[in-house]
Amino acid sequence: MSEPRISPSAAADALVEIHARRDQAVTAALVPGWYWPALGGLMAAFTAAVETHRPWVVAVGSVGCALGLGTLVARVALRHRAQVRSSLIGVHGTVAIVGYALGLVALGLVTGFTAESAGLAWPATVGAAATAGAMTATGQSLMGYLRGVMTARPIGGGR
Amino acid sequence: MSAPRFDELIHAPTRLSLVSLLAATDWAEFRYLRDQLGLSDSALSKQLSTLEQAGYVEVRKSFVGKRPRTSVKLSRHGRGAFDGHVAALQQIVARAGTSVLPGA
Repeated sequence: MSEPRISPSAAADALVEIHARRDQAVTAALVPGWYWPALGGLMAAFTAAVETHRPWVVAVGSVGCALGLGTLVARVALRHRAQVRSSLIGVHGTVAIVGYALGLVALGLVTGFTAESAGLAWPATVGAAATAGAMTATGQSLMGYLRGVMTARPIGGGR
Repeated sequence: MSAPRFDELIHAPTRLSLVSLLAATDWAEFRYLRDQLGLSDSALSKQLSTLEQAGYVEVRKSFVGKRPRTSVKLSRHGRGAFDGHVAALQQIVARAGTSVLPGA
């Protein structure tokens, strides 16, 4: 081992800097707050277009949603100029993402079928709107959780 | 866990920040590093050249459309050196018996 010529406080300061830079990289990689309502709105709009059962509305809605989704993904992708290490996400992060997605699907289906059985008009749109609302309300919480998971991992070679 | 190995090359303040950012990423664009670290193009280039000569980073230049894009990643050698450096810092702090480790 090379003999270091630094004081313990300087070493501690260096560790603080290393942690801060990792937090900076992780924070910059999270999707922005506007992503969730925008994605939810597109989903609800597309579902509503399909549920009109009018071919021209379905066509216009499909093209519009495809363009909107493309723009949304492009904006997020262009904003990201670094790829956070995939290993930082770990098992807990992966389980959280999969669980969140499955929860949203379940919410949409349950709400949609409930709306249909209650005789409401446009039940699928109601389900999609519920999903969109949940995404808007909880998307940033998921990001916060993932940020916590990634920044809590040991730095260096520790796992 | 990596063996502790204090690395003078990494420990220089600007390079410590740079390598720490790179260690948290699979790759990063030159512009991203410049903006996050608040460096000029020439200052960042100089630091990257030093790290590249030591085999710590890999620099790739490509084009997206007509725009040049430079991306940087920590090499396996560089990641090993960083891990060893972190272990050395942690060892120094631990030996001193202080509790200044983040999260400690």
